[in-house]
Amino acid sequence: MIASGIKRGTAELVVLSILQDGALHGYEIARRIEQETDGSLRFTLAALYPMLYRLEKQKWIRGTWETSVNGRRRRCYRLTPKGKQKIAPLRKEWSDLFAALHRLAGVSNA
Amino acid sequence: MPDWQELVRQRLAGFELESDDSTEIVEELAGHLEDQYQSLLQDGVSEKSAIYCVLQNLDDSRDLKSKIESSREKELPMNSRVSQFWLPAFLTIFLAMSFLMFIEAVGFEPWVSATWGGPQGTLPAAVVYLPWLITLPFIGAFGAYLSGRAGARGWTVFSSVVFPTVPYLAFCLIGLPTAVILEGRIAHNITLPAFFVGFGVWVLLPAGALLAGGMPVHYFSRRALS
Repeated sequence: MIASGIKRGTAELVVLSILQDGALHGYEIARRIEQETDGSLRFTLAALYPMLYRLEKQKWIRGTWETSVNGRRRRCYRLTPKGKQKIAPLRKEWSDLFAALHRLAGVSNA
Repeated sequence: MPDWQELVRQRLAGFELESDDSTEIVEELAGHLEDQYQSLLQDGVSEKSAIYCVLQNLDDSRDLKSKIESSREKELPMNSRVSQFWLPAFLTIFLAMSFLMFIEAVGFEPWVSATWGGPQGTLPAAVVYLPWLITLPFIGAFGAYLSGRAGARGWTVFSSVVFPTVPYLAFCLIGLPTAVILEGRIAHNITLPAFFVGFGVWVLLPAGALLAGGMPVHYFSRRALS
C-alpha cells in the first residue's frame, strides 16, 4: 500500500488517466484505480471526491448528472479538452521525478 | 438496506455550502456508498459486514466534510479581476500621473515666454509632455507584466495597460458633446478643435506609448510561459 502523502501527489494524474478511457462515476473511478493498480492505490471517500471537485473547479474534468436504466442518478465525470492537454505535462513531470529518483536512490521507473 | 442519503446527510450535517450544492454532494456520496454496498454483497459479503465496511467511509466525517467544503469553495470573482485588471490598472495610472506631476514640479522649466502659435508657444508643453511620453512605455510594460503574471490575457492586459488614458478619454467623451451643444466651446479657450487635438495628444499618443511598452512584454512573457 502506498503512503497517503505520495498518493496525494499522484492523484491528479491517476484520475485523469483513468478518465481517458471514457466517462465514469465516482465509485467506478475508485474501483478502476484499485483494480488497475492491484490494490496499491485506494481512494477513500474523503480523498476521491474533494479531488474530483477540485479538478472540476480547475476545469480539467466535467461532472454531469446522468440517469441509469434503473432510474438512479449518478454524477459522471469526463475529461475536458483542458484536462486532456494536462495529461502529457503531468506524465512528463512524473517521469522526470522517477528519473531523478532513479539517479539518486536507485528507484526504478515502473 | 440503510437509507444512504439520510446517513450521509446526518454525518455531514451543517455543510457550509449552498443548499443545491449540499444536496448534490449528499446524493453523490450516498450513491457511492450504495454502489460499494451492492458490490460487497455481490462478492458474497454478508449484509451486516457490508454495512459495517461501507460505514467506515464515514468514520472521520469531520475530515470528509472540511475537505469537501474547501474543495467546493468558490473563489471570489473579484480576486482574479483585482489581480489581473484593477491592481495593474491603478498602478499604471498612479505611476503615469506621478511622473507627470514630478516632471512638472522638478523637470526642466522653459524660460521662454509663451506666445500664441509658433515654436515658442508649443515649447513649454513639449518640455513637460515629451519626457512624460517617453516614460509611458516603461509604465505600460510594468502594467502588462503585473497583469500577465496574474494570469490575464488579451483584452484584460490591453485594458490595464491603457488605463491611464481613461480619464482623458472620459473628459473628451463628456466634453466634446458638451462643446457641440454650447456652440463650439465650453470655455473661452476650450474650443471644439481643441478636443480633437487633445484626443490625439492625451489619449491616442499616450495609449500608443503605453502599448508600445506593454504589448512586447506581454507577448514575450506568454512565449516564455508556453
